[in-house]
Amino acid sequence: MSLINENKDFGVIAELIPNNASVIDVGCNDGSLLEYLREYKNIDGRGMEIDQKKVQLCLAKGISVIEGDADTDLYDYPDKLFDYSILTYTLQATKSPKTVMQQLVRISKKAIISFPNFGHWKIGTSLLLNRKMPVSKKLSYSWHETPNLHFCTINDFIDLCEELEIKIEKKGDLSNKKLSNFSGKNFLDSYFNEVGLFLVSKD
Amino acid sequence: MSENKIVTLAEDEPLNLDGGGSLSKFKTAYTTYGKLNDKKNNSILVCHALTGDQYVASDHPITKKNGWWSMVVGPDKPIDTNKFFVICPNVIGGCMGSTGPKEINPEKGKEFATDFPVITIADMVRAQKLLIDYLGIEKIFCVTGGSMGGMLVLEWLSKFPEMVHSAVPIATATNHSAQNIALNELARQSIMADPNWQSGNYYHSDKKPMKGLSVARMAAHISYLSKEALQSKFGRNLQDKNSLDYSFDADFQIESYLRHQGFTFVDRFDANSYLYITRAMDYFDVSSANNGSLIEAFKNTQSKILCVSFTSDWLYPTSENKKIVKVFNSLGLNVSFIEIETENGHDSFLLDEPKFFEAIKGFINSTFENL
Repeated sequence: MSLINENKDFGVIAELIPNNASVIDVGCNDGSLLEYLREYKNIDGRGMEIDQKKVQLCLAKGISVIEGDADTDLYDYPDKLFDYSILTYTLQATKSPKTVMQQLVRISKKAIISFPNFGHWKIGTSLLLNRKMPVSKKLSYSWHETPNLHFCTINDFIDLCEELEIKIEKKGDLSNKKLSNFSGKNFLDSYFNEVGLFLVSKD
Repeated sequence: MSENKIVTLAEDEPLNLDGGGSLSKFKTAYTTYGKLNDKKNNSILVCHALTGDQYVASDHPITKKNGWWSMVVGPDKPIDTNKFFVICPNVIGGCMGSTGPKEINPEKGKEFATDFPVITIADMVRAQKLLIDYLGIEKIFCVTGGSMGGMLVLEWLSKFPEMVHSAVPIATATNHSAQNIALNELARQSIMADPNWQSGNYYHSDKKPMKGLSVARMAAHISYLSKEALQSKFGRNLQDKNSLDYSFDADFQIESYLRHQGFTFVDRFDANSYLYITRAMDYFDVSSANNGSLIEAFKNTQSKILCVSFTSDWLYPTSENKKIVKVFNSLGLNVSFIEIETENGHDSFLLDEPKFFEAIKGFINSTFENL
């Protein structure tokens, strides 16, 4: 379900992570992001992945990976064990995005979270003009077969962080490969960013 | 493949045992496969289970069958002996040449029988450590094993963490549950209830506790299989007959199968060894030397670890294996975990499970490449 296999996203994420950090990638897919971060940032990485075929790929790459579920298995980690946790394109597929986010900021000092922005203008247009659930490159499933349970918009995400007292430190714009400090909701982001990417934390 | 070798260890100072007492000049029988490289960094220690032995990848001298893990260990196998130096010792207390109840007690000039001290999993590991020292290996590349073998792996990680680069504990637990102990007690009582057991002194008698040991094996064998596997393999099929006999003969295939498992087992296993080794498993609690704290037990562990469980294993279920993973996670260790879907129950680690083989191979080879 994770579509982040294009290295351009990796570069933006890598920019957020200092050298030698300890990192857990939740929903780590075949481990390529962790491998990328290991190569370019010398991180000490761990993965969690629900799909066993992908777990096997991680093992063969020498990546430490737990076959597990973000909804249930993050409880096993002690507080602030990792410097960074990463959740790319997985939040919308969890049963409880709220608890998963709480767990992420509990087990790591900072969390990097990305998700498809349901507020993107193309999605709005698809609904408005075609009266059809949107299917695009980033949202490649039909409504009846999608593993995505909880779509949200960038503004919804910001509201949830506020409710959970999670601090948003930075935001990313993947199409322009740009990171900037977060300073509240922004019409352009919520309308034009296909993907929401945020660096968050909670003490 | 490999010749059986026997070495006498603890020649200078005795091996002190958890239960008090000691063993000196004890024998360890072992096999090796492949070659130790010049850097001495390619050794893999394979720890066998309760009724296993050192014949991991070579034909068994009594049963003439393939080694118990010949699908896993060998040239081009998941544990590739073209690349790795594999060592598999028979545990102390065993009956395939290592010092155990059926071997001669040098002090008395006759078999130990029940004079053999009650040993623990930690004692077995201390004995294995002496073998590794003897082989001139300072750091084992990987320690692996399933079931009791997995307990030995955990004990290695706890007792000699600096000597273990990586580890693969399979289908195991940090201690025995009440259910595990109960099943072992059933087995022990069936051996001791056999009049031919003779308080353990049957080595020179015509009568050996074959029935007791056979029933013990039958009971244990049920615990190694899942309900689904038994049902799909045997169901209520009748053995060589079309109707019920209305007798206590083996009408059902499952009865015949279990009897066969029991009868063939007694040819290769010693009843007293069964008592001692099951006792060691029941006593096993890797946290016991650390006031019951698993975190303390593994606090010096730095190894890279892969834990494996099987969905239909009810003897050492996924939940028990996940407890181990949780401890390693808490310590921030490089731990991986995979749960193999299969209906083959606890015995899965000894059977043809391609996904299991793929996981072991992927982990071991990538870990070796990153040495």
